[in-house]
Amino acid sequence: MLEWLTDPFSAEFVRTGALAAAIVGVLCGVVGCYVVMRGMALVADSLAHGVLPGVAIAFALTAGTSGAEPDEWAIWAGALIAGLLTAGATSLIIQRSRVREETAAGVVFVFMLALGVAIASRVEGYSVDLTAFLFGDVLGVTDGEVALSAALTAAVLALVALFYRPFLMTSFDPQRAAALGMPVDRLHLVMLVIVTLAVVIGFRVVGALLVLGLLIAPPATAALVTRRLPSMMAVSAGIAALAAPVGLLLSWHLDIAAGASIVLAAVSAFVVALFARATPR
Amino acid sequence: MSFEVPAGASVALLGPNGAGKTTLFRSAVGLVRPDFGSIELGAGAVAFVPQRLDIEPSFPATVRDVVRMGRYGALGWLRPFGDRDRELVDRAIESLGIRALADRRFGDLSGGERQRALLAQATAQDARLLLLDEPFTGLDAPTHGALRATLGAWRSQGRTVIVATHDLQSASRDYDLVICLNRRLVAVGPPAETCTEEVLAETFAGRVVRVGELLIDTAHHHHGAG
Repeated sequence: MLEWLTDPFSAEFVRTGALAAAIVGVLCGVVGCYVVMRGMALVADSLAHGVLPGVAIAFALTAGTSGAEPDEWAIWAGALIAGLLTAGATSLIIQRSRVREETAAGVVFVFMLALGVAIASRVEGYSVDLTAFLFGDVLGVTDGEVALSAALTAAVLALVALFYRPFLMTSFDPQRAAALGMPVDRLHLVMLVIVTLAVVIGFRVVGALLVLGLLIAPPATAALVTRRLPSMMAVSAGIAALAAPVGLLLSWHLDIAAGASIVLAAVSAFVVALFARATPR
Repeated sequence: MSFEVPAGASVALLGPNGAGKTTLFRSAVGLVRPDFGSIELGAGAVAFVPQRLDIEPSFPATVRDVVRMGRYGALGWLRPFGDRDRELVDRAIESLGIRALADRRFGDLSGGERQRALLAQATAQDARLLLLDEPFTGLDAPTHGALRATLGAWRSQGRTVIVATHDLQSASRDYDLVICLNRRLVAVGPPAETCTEEVLAETFAGRVVRVGELLIDTAHHHHGAG
Protein backbone atom coordinates (compact mmCIF):
# COMPACT_ATOMS: atom_id res chain seq x y z
CA MET A 1 0.00 0.00 0.00
CA LEU A 2 2.75 2.41 1.00
CA GLU A 3 4.68 1.60 -2.16
CA TRP A 4 1.55 2.23 -4.16
CA LEU A 5 1.67 5.76 -2.77
CA THR A 6 5.40 6.37 -2.90
CA ASP A 7 6.53 4.50 -6.01
CA PRO A 8 5.48 7.11 -8.55
CA PHE A 9 7.32 9.83 -6.67
CA SER A 10 10.63 7.99 -6.69
CA ALA A 11 11.24 9.39 -10.15
CA GLU A 12 12.58 12.94 -10.03
CA PHE A 13 10.57 14.16 -13.03
CA VAL A 14 7.37 13.10 -11.23
CA ARG A 15 8.39 14.98 -8.08
CA THR A 16 9.19 18.07 -10.16
CA GLY A 17 5.87 17.75 -11.96
CA ALA A 18 3.98 17.32 -8.68
CA LEU A 19 5.65 20.44 -7.26
CA ALA A 20 4.89 22.45 -10.39
CA ALA A 21 1.27 21.28 -10.40
CA ALA A 22 0.87 22.07 -6.70
CA ILE A 23 2.22 25.60 -7.23
CA VAL A 24 -0.15 26.08 -10.15
CA GLY A 25 -2.93 24.63 -8.01
CA VAL A 26 -2.41 27.15 -5.21
CA LEU A 27 -2.33 30.02 -7.71
CA CYS A 28 -5.37 28.89 -9.72
CA GLY A 29 -7.22 27.97 -6.52
CA VAL A 30 -6.87 31.52 -5.18
CA VAL A 31 -7.32 33.47 -8.43
CA GLY A 32 -10.17 31.18 -9.47
CA CYS A 33 -12.21 32.41 -6.47
CA TYR A 34 -12.62 35.71 -8.31
CA VAL A 35 -13.38 33.91 -11.57
CA VAL A 36 -16.19 31.99 -9.83
CA MET A 37 -17.61 34.82 -7.71
CA ARG A 38 -17.64 37.26 -10.64
CA GLY A 39 -18.97 34.74 -13.17
CA MET A 40 -15.88 35.10 -15.39
CA ALA A 41 -15.58 31.48 -16.56
CA LEU A 42 -15.82 32.33 -20.26
CA VAL A 43 -13.42 35.24 -19.81
CA ALA A 44 -10.90 32.93 -18.17
CA ASP A 45 -11.36 30.41 -20.98
CA SER A 46 -10.81 33.18 -23.50
CA LEU A 47 -7.59 34.25 -21.79
CA ALA A 48 -6.42 30.62 -21.77
CA HIS A 49 -6.91 30.21 -25.51
CA GLY A 50 -5.69 33.72 -26.21
CA VAL A 51 -2.13 32.62 -25.47
CA LEU A 52 -2.11 30.34 -28.56
CA PRO A 53 -0.85 32.86 -31.17
CA GLY A 54 2.01 33.81 -28.85
CA VAL A 55 2.94 30.18 -28.39
CA ALA A 56 2.73 29.55 -32.15
CA ILE A 57 4.94 32.54 -32.97
CA ALA A 58 7.47 31.55 -30.31
CA PHE A 59 7.52 28.04 -31.77
CA ALA A 60 7.93 29.33 -35.31
CA LEU A 61 10.80 31.63 -34.33
CA THR A 62 12.78 29.14 -32.25
CA ALA A 63 12.02 25.76 -33.82
CA GLY A 64 9.94 26.27 -36.94
CA THR A 65 12.62 26.11 -39.59
CA SER A 66 15.32 24.02 -37.95
CA GLY A 67 13.04 21.37 -36.52
CA ALA A 68 14.81 21.77 -33.19
CA GLU A 69 13.13 21.76 -29.78
CA PRO A 70 11.34 25.05 -29.21
CA ASP A 71 12.86 27.35 -26.62
CA GLU A 72 10.79 27.02 -23.43
CA TRP A 73 11.45 30.61 -22.33
CA ALA A 74 10.32 31.91 -25.72
CA ILE A 75 7.11 29.90 -25.31
CA TRP A 76 6.57 31.43 -21.86
CA ALA A 77 7.20 34.94 -23.15
CA GLY A 78 4.98 34.43 -26.20
CA ALA A 79 2.15 33.06 -24.08
CA LEU A 80 2.46 35.94 -21.61
CA ILE A 81 2.47 38.64 -24.29
CA ALA A 82 -0.48 37.10 -26.18
CA GLY A 83 -2.40 36.61 -22.91
CA LEU A 84 -1.86 40.23 -21.86
CA LEU A 85 -2.95 41.42 -25.32
CA THR A 86 -6.12 39.33 -24.95
CA ALA A 87 -6.79 40.85 -21.52
CA GLY A 88 -6.09 44.39 -22.76
CA ALA A 89 -8.28 44.01 -25.86
CA THR A 90 -11.15 42.56 -23.83
CA SER A 91 -10.96 45.41 -21.34
CA LEU A 92 -10.75 48.02 -24.12
CA ILE A 93 -13.83 46.63 -25.89
CA ILE A 94 -15.84 46.68 -22.65
CA GLN A 95 -14.86 50.28 -21.89
CA ARG A 96 -15.46 51.45 -25.46
CA SER A 97 -18.77 49.74 -26.15
CA ARG A 98 -20.21 48.68 -22.78
CA VAL A 99 -21.11 45.29 -24.25
CA ARG A 100 -21.31 42.39 -21.83
CA GLU A 101 -18.00 41.10 -20.59
CA GLU A 102 -18.62 37.65 -22.08
CA THR A 103 -19.35 39.13 -25.52
CA ALA A 104 -16.12 41.13 -25.51
CA ALA A 105 -14.19 38.10 -24.30
CA GLY A 106 -15.84 35.90 -26.95
CA VAL A 107 -14.85 38.21 -29.80
CA VAL A 108 -11.22 38.42 -28.67
CA PHE A 109 -11.22 34.69 -27.92
CA VAL A 110 -12.16 33.58 -31.46
CA PHE A 111 -9.82 36.14 -33.02
CA MET A 112 -6.83 34.94 -31.01
CA LEU A 113 -7.71 31.28 -31.52
CA ALA A 114 -8.10 31.72 -35.29
CA LEU A 115 -4.88 33.74 -35.44
CA GLY A 116 -3.08 31.03 -33.50
CA VAL A 117 -4.35 28.28 -35.79
CA ALA A 118 -3.47 30.38 -38.86
CA ILE A 119 0.10 30.89 -37.66
CA ALA A 120 0.44 27.27 -36.59
CA SER A 121 -0.73 26.06 -40.01
CA ARG A 122 2.28 27.79 -41.59
CA VAL A 123 4.73 26.13 -39.20
CA GLU A 124 5.95 22.62 -39.89
CA GLY A 125 5.98 20.21 -36.99
CA TYR A 126 3.66 22.29 -34.89
CA SER A 127 0.99 19.61 -34.52
CA VAL A 128 3.07 17.79 -31.92
CA ASP A 129 3.54 20.90 -29.86
CA LEU A 130 -0.11 21.84 -30.24
CA THR A 131 -0.96 18.76 -28.20
CA ALA A 132 1.35 19.98 -25.44
CA PHE A 133 -0.33 23.38 -25.65
CA LEU A 134 -3.82 21.98 -25.28
CA PHE A 135 -3.11 19.26 -22.71
CA GLY A 136 0.04 20.43 -20.98
CA ASP A 137 3.23 18.57 -20.23
CA VAL A 138 3.42 18.34 -16.47
CA LEU A 139 6.09 15.63 -16.50
CA GLY A 140 8.27 17.66 -18.87
CA VAL A 141 8.48 20.71 -16.62
CA THR A 142 12.05 21.76 -15.84
CA ASP A 143 13.50 23.00 -12.53
CA GLY A 144 13.88 26.44 -14.09
CA GLU A 145 10.20 26.52 -14.95
CA VAL A 146 9.28 25.49 -11.41
CA ALA A 147 11.37 28.36 -10.05
CA LEU A 148 9.73 30.82 -12.47
CA SER A 149 6.25 29.50 -11.62
CA ALA A 150 6.96 29.87 -7.91
CA ALA A 151 8.23 33.44 -8.33
CA LEU A 152 5.28 34.48 -10.49
CA THR A 153 2.84 32.77 -8.12
CA ALA A 154 4.30 34.69 -5.17
CA ALA A 155 3.97 37.93 -7.15
CA VAL A 156 0.35 37.23 -8.12
CA LEU A 157 -0.60 36.27 -4.55
CA ALA A 158 0.94 39.55 -3.35
CA LEU A 159 -1.26 41.38 -5.88
CA VAL A 160 -4.32 39.48 -4.64
CA ALA A 161 -3.54 40.59 -1.08
CA LEU A 162 -2.88 44.19 -2.15
CA PHE A 163 -6.15 44.37 -4.12
CA TYR A 164 -8.25 42.42 -1.60
CA ARG A 165 -10.62 45.26 -0.63
CA PRO A 166 -11.09 46.84 -4.07
CA PHE A 167 -11.66 43.42 -5.67
CA LEU A 168 -14.16 42.38 -2.99
CA MET A 169 -15.99 45.72 -3.24
CA THR A 170 -16.12 45.85 -7.06
CA SER A 171 -17.25 42.22 -7.20
CA PHE A 172 -19.96 42.93 -4.64
CA ASP A 173 -21.27 46.11 -6.24
CA PRO A 174 -19.34 48.15 -8.82
CA GLN A 175 -21.63 51.16 -8.23
CA ARG A 176 -20.81 51.36 -4.54
CA ALA A 177 -17.13 50.76 -5.33
CA ALA A 178 -17.14 53.66 -7.77
CA ALA A 179 -18.97 55.82 -5.23
CA LEU A 180 -16.12 55.08 -2.80
CA GLY A 181 -13.72 56.41 -5.42
CA MET A 182 -12.40 53.06 -6.65
CA PRO A 183 -11.27 53.04 -10.33
CA VAL A 184 -13.61 50.24 -11.40
CA ASP A 185 -12.47 49.94 -15.05
CA ARG A 186 -8.78 49.88 -14.20
CA LEU A 187 -9.39 47.37 -11.41
CA HIS A 188 -11.15 45.16 -13.92
CA LEU A 189 -8.10 45.27 -16.18
CA VAL A 190 -5.86 44.35 -13.24
CA MET A 191 -8.19 41.43 -12.54
CA LEU A 192 -7.88 40.25 -16.16
CA VAL A 193 -4.07 40.52 -15.97
CA ILE A 194 -4.03 38.45 -12.78
CA VAL A 195 -6.18 35.74 -14.38
CA THR A 196 -3.89 35.87 -17.44
CA LEU A 197 -0.83 35.30 -15.26
CA ALA A 198 -2.54 32.32 -13.63
CA VAL A 199 -3.41 30.93 -17.05
CA VAL A 200 0.10 31.38 -18.46
CA ILE A 201 1.66 29.73 -15.43
CA GLY A 202 -0.93 26.98 -15.53
CA PHE A 203 -1.08 26.03 -19.21
CA ARG A 204 2.44 24.54 -19.25
CA VAL A 205 1.32 22.10 -16.58
CA VAL A 206 -2.26 21.11 -17.40
CA GLY A 207 -2.70 22.71 -20.82
CA ALA A 208 -4.82 25.56 -22.14
CA LEU A 209 -7.94 23.40 -22.25
CA LEU A 210 -7.72 22.16 -18.69
CA VAL A 211 -6.29 25.15 -16.84
CA LEU A 212 -9.89 26.33 -16.64
CA GLY A 213 -10.59 23.17 -14.63
CA LEU A 214 -8.18 24.32 -11.91
CA LEU A 215 -9.60 27.86 -12.02
CA ILE A 216 -13.20 26.71 -11.61
CA ALA A 217 -13.48 23.36 -9.81
CA PRO A 218 -11.55 24.08 -6.56
CA PRO A 219 -13.21 27.49 -5.94
CA ALA A 220 -16.63 26.04 -6.78
CA THR A 221 -15.96 23.31 -4.22
CA ALA A 222 -14.81 25.84 -1.63
CA ALA A 223 -17.91 27.96 -2.24
CA LEU A 224 -20.03 25.00 -1.14
CA VAL A 225 -18.40 24.77 2.27
CA THR A 226 -17.36 28.36 3.17
CA ARG A 227 -19.10 31.71 3.68
CA ARG A 228 -16.24 34.19 3.49
CA LEU A 229 -13.69 34.99 0.80
CA PRO A 230 -10.52 34.37 2.87
CA SER A 231 -11.66 30.89 3.91
CA MET A 232 -12.90 30.21 0.37
CA MET A 233 -9.44 31.04 -0.98
CA ALA A 234 -7.69 28.90 1.61
CA VAL A 235 -9.91 25.85 1.04
CA SER A 236 -9.76 26.27 -2.73
CA ALA A 237 -5.95 26.53 -2.76
CA GLY A 238 -5.73 23.46 -0.52
CA ILE A 239 -7.97 21.37 -2.77
CA ALA A 240 -6.15 22.44 -5.94
CA ALA A 241 -2.72 21.78 -4.42
CA LEU A 242 -3.81 18.36 -3.20
CA ALA A 243 -5.21 17.50 -6.62
CA ALA A 244 -1.65 17.61 -8.00
CA PRO A 245 -0.13 14.60 -6.17
CA VAL A 246 -3.45 12.72 -6.16
CA GLY A 247 -3.80 13.26 -9.90
CA LEU A 248 -0.23 12.17 -10.63
CA LEU A 249 -0.73 9.08 -8.49
CA LEU A 250 -3.80 8.10 -10.50
CA SER A 251 -2.04 8.99 -13.72
CA TRP A 252 0.87 6.68 -12.83
CA HIS A 253 -1.19 3.68 -11.80
CA LEU A 254 -4.03 3.97 -14.32
CA ASP A 255 -1.72 5.09 -17.12
CA ILE A 256 -3.78 8.13 -18.03
CA ALA A 257 -2.68 11.63 -19.13
CA ALA A 258 -1.22 13.51 -16.17
CA GLY A 259 -2.83 16.95 -16.74
CA ALA A 260 -6.27 15.42 -17.27
CA SER A 261 -5.80 13.25 -14.20
CA ILE A 262 -5.05 16.29 -12.00
CA VAL A 263 -8.18 18.09 -13.20
CA LEU A 264 -10.26 14.94 -12.71
CA ALA A 265 -9.03 14.80 -9.10
CA ALA A 266 -10.01 18.46 -8.60
CA VAL A 267 -13.49 17.94 -10.04
CA SER A 268 -13.95 14.81 -7.91
CA ALA A 269 -13.54 16.99 -4.82
CA PHE A 270 -16.41 19.13 -6.08
CA VAL A 271 -18.66 16.10 -6.55
CA VAL A 272 -17.82 14.81 -3.06
CA ALA A 273 -18.53 18.21 -1.47
CA LEU A 274 -21.78 18.54 -3.41
CA PHE A 275 -23.17 15.31 -1.98
CA ALA A 276 -21.45 15.37 1.42
CA ARG A 277 -22.84 18.73 2.50
CA ALA A 278 -24.95 18.16 5.58
CA THR A 279 -27.69 20.65 4.77
CA PRO A 280 -28.49 22.28 1.48
CA ARG A 281 -28.24 26.04 1.67
CA MET B 1 -30.35 73.22 -13.41
CA SER B 2 -28.82 74.75 -10.33
CA PHE B 3 -29.65 74.31 -6.69
CA GLU B 4 -28.03 74.13 -3.29
CA VAL B 5 -28.82 71.89 -0.37
CA PRO B 6 -27.93 73.22 3.09
CA ALA B 7 -25.90 70.88 5.27
CA GLY B 8 -28.01 68.80 7.63
CA ALA B 9 -31.13 69.12 5.51
CA SER B 10 -33.39 66.21 4.80
CA VAL B 11 -34.34 66.37 1.15
CA ALA B 12 -36.81 64.57 -1.09
CA LEU B 13 -35.84 64.30 -4.75
CA LEU B 14 -39.25 64.02 -6.37
CA GLY B 15 -40.04 63.06 -9.94
CA PRO B 16 -41.56 60.40 -12.18
CA ASN B 17 -39.60 57.44 -13.54
CA GLY B 18 -37.05 58.67 -16.06
CA ALA B 19 -36.96 62.16 -14.57
CA GLY B 20 -33.23 61.91 -13.98
CA LYS B 21 -33.14 61.18 -10.24
CA THR B 22 -30.80 58.22 -10.55
CA THR B 23 -28.62 60.03 -13.10
CA LEU B 24 -28.27 62.98 -10.72
CA PHE B 25 -27.11 60.63 -7.95
CA ARG B 26 -24.78 58.79 -10.26
CA SER B 27 -23.17 62.07 -11.34
CA ALA B 28 -22.87 63.16 -7.74
CA VAL B 29 -20.81 60.11 -6.82
CA GLY B 30 -18.83 60.13 -10.07
CA LEU B 31 -20.40 57.10 -11.72
CA VAL B 32 -21.27 59.16 -14.80
CA ARG B 33 -19.58 62.31 -15.96
CA PRO B 34 -21.96 65.24 -16.46
CA ASP B 35 -22.01 66.54 -20.05
CA PHE B 36 -21.53 69.99 -18.54
CA GLY B 37 -21.78 71.66 -15.16
CA SER B 38 -20.41 70.59 -11.80
CA ILE B 39 -21.53 69.18 -8.50
CA GLU B 40 -19.88 70.26 -5.26
CA LEU B 41 -20.40 67.98 -2.34
CA GLY B 42 -18.66 69.78 0.52
CA ALA B 43 -16.50 68.05 3.09
CA GLY B 44 -16.90 64.48 4.29
CA ALA B 45 -17.68 61.16 2.67
CA VAL B 46 -20.72 60.50 0.49
CA ALA B 47 -22.69 57.29 0.86
CA PHE B 48 -24.75 56.08 -2.08
CA VAL B 49 -27.41 53.41 -1.63
CA PRO B 50 -28.42 52.26 -5.13
CA GLN B 51 -31.92 51.10 -5.92
CA ARG B 52 -31.30 47.39 -5.80
CA LEU B 53 -28.53 44.88 -5.86
CA ASP B 54 -28.50 41.67 -7.88
CA ILE B 55 -26.02 39.35 -6.31
CA GLU B 56 -25.24 35.67 -6.55
CA PRO B 57 -26.53 33.75 -3.51
CA SER B 58 -23.11 32.15 -3.21
CA PHE B 59 -21.20 35.45 -2.97
CA PRO B 60 -18.54 34.79 -0.31
CA ALA B 61 -19.33 37.51 2.24
CA THR B 62 -21.20 37.48 5.53
CA VAL B 63 -23.49 40.31 6.62
CA ARG B 64 -20.67 41.61 8.81
CA ASP B 65 -18.31 41.58 5.80
CA VAL B 66 -20.83 43.64 3.85
CA VAL B 67 -21.19 46.19 6.67
CA ARG B 68 -17.39 46.35 7.00
CA MET B 69 -17.20 47.38 3.34
CA GLY B 70 -18.70 50.67 4.49
CA ARG B 71 -15.33 51.47 6.11
CA TYR B 72 -13.28 50.76 2.95
CA GLY B 73 -13.66 54.33 1.71
CA ALA B 74 -12.16 55.79 4.89
CA LEU B 75 -9.52 53.09 5.37
CA GLY B 76 -8.33 52.77 1.79
CA TRP B 77 -6.90 49.53 0.43
CA LEU B 78 -4.64 48.38 3.23
CA ARG B 79 -5.04 50.27 6.51
CA PRO B 80 -6.29 47.75 9.09
CA PHE B 81 -9.55 48.21 11.01
CA GLY B 82 -9.08 50.23 14.19
CA ASP B 83 -11.22 50.39 17.33
CA ARG B 84 -13.32 53.21 15.93
CA ASP B 85 -13.99 51.32 12.67
CA ARG B 86 -15.04 48.20 14.56
CA GLU B 87 -17.27 50.28 16.81
CA LEU B 88 -18.96 51.95 13.81
CA VAL B 89 -19.57 48.53 12.25
CA ASP B 90 -20.97 47.09 15.48
CA ARG B 91 -23.21 50.10 16.09
CA ALA B 92 -24.51 50.00 12.51
CA ILE B 93 -25.35 46.29 12.82
CA GLU B 94 -27.04 46.99 16.15
CA SER B 95 -29.04 49.97 14.93
CA LEU B 96 -30.47 48.06 11.96
CA GLY B 97 -31.42 45.11 14.19
CA ILE B 98 -29.43 42.55 12.20
CA ARG B 99 -27.11 41.31 14.93
CA ALA B 100 -28.57 37.81 14.74
CA LEU B 101 -27.82 37.76 11.00
CA ALA B 102 -24.25 39.08 11.25
CA ASP B 103 -22.53 35.76 10.56
CA ARG B 104 -24.98 34.58 7.92
CA ARG B 105 -23.99 34.68 4.27
CA PHE B 106 -25.37 37.88 2.69
CA GLY B 107 -26.66 35.99 -0.34
CA ASP B 108 -28.77 33.72 1.87
CA LEU B 109 -30.84 36.63 3.26
CA SER B 110 -34.30 37.72 2.18
CA GLY B 111 -34.70 40.93 0.19
CA GLY B 112 -35.64 42.99 3.22
CA GLU B 113 -32.80 41.61 5.32
CA ARG B 114 -30.35 42.41 2.54
CA GLN B 115 -31.69 45.95 2.38
CA ARG B 116 -31.13 46.35 6.12
CA ALA B 117 -27.57 45.05 5.75
CA LEU B 118 -26.94 47.59 2.99
CA LEU B 119 -28.37 50.38 5.16
CA ALA B 120 -26.04 49.25 7.93
CA GLN B 121 -23.20 49.47 5.41
CA ALA B 122 -24.15 53.07 4.61
CA THR B 123 -24.48 53.83 8.35
CA ALA B 124 -21.01 52.38 9.05
CA GLN B 125 -19.60 54.64 6.36
CA ASP B 126 -20.30 57.56 8.72
CA ALA B 127 -20.93 59.83 5.71
CA ARG B 128 -21.96 63.49 5.97
CA LEU B 129 -24.12 63.13 2.87
CA LEU B 130 -26.30 60.12 2.11
CA LEU B 131 -27.98 59.54 -1.25
CA LEU B 132 -30.74 56.92 -1.30
CA ASP B 133 -32.29 55.88 -4.61
CA GLU B 134 -35.95 54.85 -4.21
CA PRO B 135 -35.24 53.17 -0.86
CA PHE B 136 -38.90 52.59 0.01
CA THR B 137 -39.74 50.68 -3.17
CA GLY B 138 -40.77 47.10 -2.51
CA LEU B 139 -39.83 46.88 1.17
CA ASP B 140 -41.35 44.49 3.68
CA ALA B 141 -42.89 46.02 6.80
CA PRO B 142 -39.99 45.53 9.26
CA THR B 143 -37.49 46.90 6.78
CA HIS B 144 -39.76 49.86 6.06
CA GLY B 145 -39.79 50.64 9.77
CA ALA B 146 -36.03 50.17 10.07
CA LEU B 147 -35.46 52.52 7.14
CA ARG B 148 -37.69 55.23 8.64
CA ALA B 149 -35.89 54.90 11.98
CA THR B 150 -32.51 55.06 10.25
CA LEU B 151 -33.47 58.18 8.30
CA GLY B 152 -34.64 59.76 11.58
CA ALA B 153 -31.37 58.87 13.28
CA TRP B 154 -29.25 60.27 10.44
CA ARG B 155 -31.31 63.46 10.55
CA SER B 156 -30.87 63.92 14.28
CA GLN B 157 -27.13 63.37 13.84
CA GLY B 158 -27.06 66.33 11.49
CA ARG B 159 -26.32 64.36 8.33
CA THR B 160 -27.58 65.55 4.98
CA VAL B 161 -29.92 63.01 3.44
CA ILE B 162 -31.30 63.12 -0.10
CA VAL B 163 -33.95 60.52 -0.87
CA ALA B 164 -35.15 59.91 -4.42
CA THR B 165 -38.84 59.08 -4.38
CA HIS B 166 -42.07 59.35 -6.33
CA ASP B 167 -44.13 59.24 -3.16
CA LEU B 168 -45.84 62.64 -3.02
CA GLN B 169 -47.32 62.18 0.42
CA SER B 170 -44.06 61.30 2.04
CA ALA B 171 -42.25 64.10 0.20
CA SER B 172 -44.65 66.72 1.48
CA ARG B 173 -44.64 65.39 5.03
CA ASP B 174 -41.25 63.98 5.96
CA TYR B 175 -38.65 66.34 4.48
CA ASP B 176 -37.32 69.89 4.97
CA LEU B 177 -36.79 70.46 1.29
CA VAL B 178 -38.27 69.05 -1.91
CA ILE B 179 -36.49 69.07 -5.27
CA CYS B 180 -38.92 68.51 -8.13
CA LEU B 181 -37.27 66.99 -11.17
CA ASN B 182 -38.60 66.09 -14.60
CA ARG B 183 -35.61 65.95 -16.95
CA ARG B 184 -34.94 69.50 -15.70
CA LEU B 185 -35.29 71.29 -12.39
CA VAL B 186 -38.98 72.15 -11.96
CA ALA B 187 -38.83 73.61 -8.46
CA VAL B 188 -36.85 73.52 -5.25
CA GLY B 189 -37.96 74.66 -1.81
CA PRO B 190 -39.79 73.65 1.34
CA PRO B 191 -42.80 71.35 0.85
CA ALA B 192 -45.26 74.19 1.37
CA GLU B 193 -43.88 75.92 -1.75
CA THR B 194 -43.13 72.90 -3.91
CA CYS B 195 -45.93 70.48 -3.17
CA THR B 196 -48.50 72.69 -4.87
CA GLU B 197 -50.86 71.69 -7.62
CA GLU B 198 -49.09 73.60 -10.41
CA VAL B 199 -45.59 72.45 -9.50
CA LEU B 200 -46.61 68.82 -9.12
CA ALA B 201 -48.61 68.83 -12.35
CA GLU B 202 -45.49 70.08 -14.12
CA THR B 203 -43.26 67.59 -12.34
CA PHE B 204 -45.48 64.65 -13.17
CA ALA B 205 -46.52 65.94 -16.60
CA GLY B 206 -48.39 63.30 -18.53
CA ARG B 207 -49.73 61.65 -15.41
CA VAL B 208 -52.01 64.47 -14.36
CA VAL B 209 -55.00 62.35 -13.48
CA ARG B 210 -53.16 60.24 -10.96
CA VAL B 211 -51.39 63.30 -9.65
CA GLY B 212 -54.79 64.91 -9.15
CA GLU B 213 -55.93 62.04 -6.97
CA LEU B 214 -52.79 62.13 -4.93
CA LEU B 215 -52.95 65.88 -4.62
CA ILE B 216 -56.29 65.71 -2.90
CA ASP B 217 -54.73 63.34 -0.49
CA THR B 218 -51.73 65.57 0.07
CA ALA B 219 -53.85 68.66 0.56
CA HIS B 220 -55.99 66.81 3.03
CA HIS B 221 -52.96 65.79 4.98
CA HIS B 222 -51.62 69.33 5.10
CA HIS B 223 -54.93 70.58 6.31
CA GLY B 224 -55.02 68.00 9.07
CA ALA B 225 -51.45 68.61 10.17
CA GLY B 226 -51.62 72.40 10.04
